[in-house]
Formats: sequence, C-alpha cells, structure tokens
Amino acid sequence: MPASLIARRSVVYLLLALAVVIVAFPLVWMAVSALKTDAEIINPAAPLLPAHPEWSNIGRALSQAPFGRWYLNTAIFGVAATAGQLASGLLAGYAFAMLDFPAKRLLFVVALSGLMVPFSAIIVPMSQLLGELHWLNTYQGLIVPNIASALGAFLFRQFFLGTPRELGEAARIDGASELRVFFNVYAPLARPVVAALAIILFLQNWNNFLFPLIVVNTTEMSVLSQGLSVFQSQFTTQYNLIMAASLITIVPVLVVAVAAQRHIIEGITLGALD
Amino acid sequence: MRQRHRTWTLAYAFVAPTVVLTVVFSLIPLAMLLWRSLYGGGVFDASPRFVGLGNYGQMLEEGGGHALGVTGVYTVGFILLTMGVGLGLALLLNSGAPGVARVRAPFVIPLVVPVVATALIWANMFAPQFGLVNRLLRALHLPQADFLSSPGPALVAVLTFGAWQFFGQNVILYVAALKSVPGDVLDAASVDGAGAWRRFAHVQWPMMRRHTLLIWVVTTLTGLQTFTQIYVLTQGGPDGATQTALYYVYNEGFVQFDTGRANAMGVALFLLSLLITITQVWLLGRADRAR
Repeated sequence: MPASLIARRSVVYLLLALAVVIVAFPLVWMAVSALKTDAEIINPAAPLLPAHPEWSNIGRALSQAPFGRWYLNTAIFGVAATAGQLASGLLAGYAFAMLDFPAKRLLFVVALSGLMVPFSAIIVPMSQLLGELHWLNTYQGLIVPNIASALGAFLFRQFFLGTPRELGEAARIDGASELRVFFNVYAPLARPVVAALAIILFLQNWNNFLFPLIVVNTTEMSVLSQGLSVFQSQFTTQYNLIMAASLITIVPVLVVAVAAQRHIIEGITLGALD
Repeated sequence: MRQRHRTWTLAYAFVAPTVVLTVVFSLIPLAMLLWRSLYGGGVFDASPRFVGLGNYGQMLEEGGGHALGVTGVYTVGFILLTMGVGLGLALLLNSGAPGVARVRAPFVIPLVVPVVATALIWANMFAPQFGLVNRLLRALHLPQADFLSSPGPALVAVLTFGAWQFFGQNVILYVAALKSVPGDVLDAASVDGAGAWRRFAHVQWPMMRRHTLLIWVVTTLTGLQTFTQIYVLTQGGPDGATQTALYYVYNEGFVQFDTGRANAMGVALFLLSLLITITQVWLLGRADRAR
C-alpha cells in the first residue's frame, strides 16, 4: 500500500472516530452522572467517574414519578397513531394509484395539503378545536389528529403506481371482488414499504413532544417525554436523579434503534429522497 | 354501471380517512388560524373584536420581529452545520476505507432517542461550574461561561445541541445520494486522471444536486420547527435570545395567553414553510427540465 493511501485512510479513521465520540460522549456522560452521589454531582472538583456507582439512583428516580403510567400512555399513543397512519396511508395510496373515481384529483390535492400545513403553525387553533371537542387529556385527542399521513398516502401511491395492473385484472377475471383484489393481491406486495415506514413513524410518534404538550396537561395522561420534562422542573438541581430518569427513557429506544437500524435508515431515506 | 359504482364506493371509503382527517385536523385549524389572527384579545375575552392586521403589527413590535431574526440565525446555522457535517461524514463513509461503510448506527442514535432526554444531558453538560463544558474550559485555562443564562452563548448552546441531534439524518441521506452516482461515471473520471477532489467537484456534487435540494428542504423545515431543544434548554431565554418563531407561538399562546399575537406568528410560520415548499417545487421542476 502506498504511503499516501495509508496517510489518507488514517485521516478518514481519525475523523470518523471523532464523530463517533461526539455522538457517544453525551450518552456516556448521562450514564456516569446518573450513578454519582448527591454530593459528587454538584462538586466541580469531583472526579469525572463516580467513586462508587450509586445504582440506587435509578430506583429513586423511578419511585419519584409514575414512569410506568407514562410508558403505557406513550405505548398506546405510539402504537395506535402508527397503525392508523399506516392503514390510512395504505388505503388512500392504493385508491389514488389504482382506482378511478370522480373528483380524484381534487381529493388527492386535499390529502397532500397536509404536507403544506406544518403542525407547529397551528398549535393554538388545534388546541382550541380539541377543547371544543372535549378531547383534551384523552387518548383520542392524542391519537386521532395524528392519523392522516400525507407522506404515507404519497409514498404508498408511488409504490402502487409501480406495481403491474395485470395482477389485478387477472384476479378480476377469476371473479375476485375489488376488496379481495386489494387485500389478497396488492396489499401483501406493499409489505417492505410498511416495514420501512412502520419503525420510523413509530419512533417519531414515541418521541413526539410538542403535540402531547398542547393536548395533555395532567400527570396521568402525560407521555414519557412530557413526564421527563416535568420531572426535571421538580428536581432542578438533583442532576444525578434527572440523568437517571433520562437513562430510563433512553435505554429501551436505544436497544430498538440499534436492533432495527437497517429499517430506520431505509425509512428515513424513503421519506426524504423519494 | 353498477359494477363501476361499487368501485367508486370502495375508492371513497379508502380515501375517506385520510381526506376527512386532513380537512378536520389540518385545513380547519388553518382556516381558524388565518381568521382568528385578525381578531384581538386573549383566550379569556368573551367577545373578540376585529382588529385587521393589528395583531401582526403588535406581534412584530412585541418580540415577534426579534424572534423571526433569531429563527433566521438559528436556521442558517443549523443548515450549514448539519449539511456540512452530514456531507463530510458521508464522503468519509463512502471513501472505500475498509470497514467504514457499515458504521452508520452511531449517527442514527441521536436522531431517534427522545429529544427531551438528550436535551437534559446537554443542559447538564452546559451547567455552570460542574458541567462538562466548563470543566473542559477550566482545564484548558480558557474563560468559562454560564452558557444557558447569557444571550450569545445560549444560542450557541441550543444550536450545538440541535445540530448534534439532527446531523445523523443528513449523513444517512448523503450516503444514499452518493450511492446514486453511477460507479462507471466515477471510474471513467478516475481513468481520465481526476483525483478525489475533482471527482467530487465535477462528478458527484453536480449529479447529487437533486438530492441536495431535497435534503436542504427537509433540513430547513426541521430547523424552522425546532422546539423541544429550546423548551428544555432555555425556554426561549435569556431575554428572548433563543426565542424562535415557533417558541414565540407557544409562549404567547400557552403561557401568556395572547392568542392574537400567537396566531399572527403562526401565520408567519405557515407562510415561511409554504415559501420553502414552493421554492422546492420550483427548483425541482427547473432541475428536471435541465436534465
């Protein structure tokens, strides 16, 4: 190997290692801080690593707030919203790609208009609307407004436009109803798109903070992110407990993210570049 | 004919959830936003009165103009950092050095773990005295700062964390973009004696223009809608130094209860996003015609 190549590769490895350290360090810092004693955590002269890891901090944090309930709320919201987004997107995408009906173009424009209205711009009227529906602090208030997915409808339409029409024609000649054509012939083909979108949509819903913040203001209906932020405002200076609480919310997602990284990467690419 | 009608019924049933829910939870709130931005008063006023564009003037004078400025600075910084680092790292991952092509998990992690939790870590690292950043500065005999309570450093801190949280997405997207450049074109350039830099400047970069445009749009919209980072780290402070347009909407609407101003800024945020989307469609159309 020529010396210039070795030098160039060393720079590549060095820069990448630096990037990995920058990503990983805050997470390591969290773990280290979570295990410090109350005295160590506020002492600027204390060593970076705790002398004796204080594992009881995790139990202390757990006992100070209803993390179990927050996990349950987040799971209900995450699963229901994701299932709704996938189902509504799959159905609408199929109809827009494969079926003909009056006002199709107009309805497609309406479906896509969701992309033009960022949720962040309408947080005030959204909370007023949900208030008038008496949906604040309810599961339906968290879930239903999130079900329509313009991106999902668009991606599934793109997918079905690329599938052969002959498959459906053959099934129809055999006497299959339109519903059967969809469920037995076309829907199974979309499985890879469902897989790539499912994980990324689920993580987005799981981590959503702004939406629950304007819909929910009670402890028992809060999602995990919200609960964590309330926890922080109550234990402002007990950084070890705050870091222990962060650890409790990060670790499960971290495990999922590492296990499903291939699907996540596919989903991100599908959502942004296609 | 009856067969056709049955197909129509099925088609309407299929599109109904998406269309109805989009109308109810996107278009109706948008109409409410536009309409109510013209009426004065807070949420507690029994009879809002028509004030025309009065809310907009008030919004711009009472911190909203400043918030739009902060949004501009933040978003430009966010684009430069995340797209620059994203492209740089993607080139490294694509460099052909053994083993590096598979190293992608570390860049996915900040993107998918809860932002509130990682924001709390960064708040801890930026803390005065015992925070990691100040310990580091002290060790290097550099001046320390109370990052989150001084205006300039607070914006730098929020931007640093925002970029840390998001840059992985641009790494992934640029890796995909680089893969889309055909290998034989690159090989031909190498045969003609083009080095790595010239291959990038004359082959890869021009062939990735469409991708760069799409990445720019997603990055800009993400930057514009940064919220959780600011909510946890600074709550828009100190003195509005990190109050972006979206944080202003939240603060006026849900903390100060001045919905008139909140809605005026909501409209501004909507128009900004719309402008970016229209620019995207226009640029994509131009790029496609050029091909």
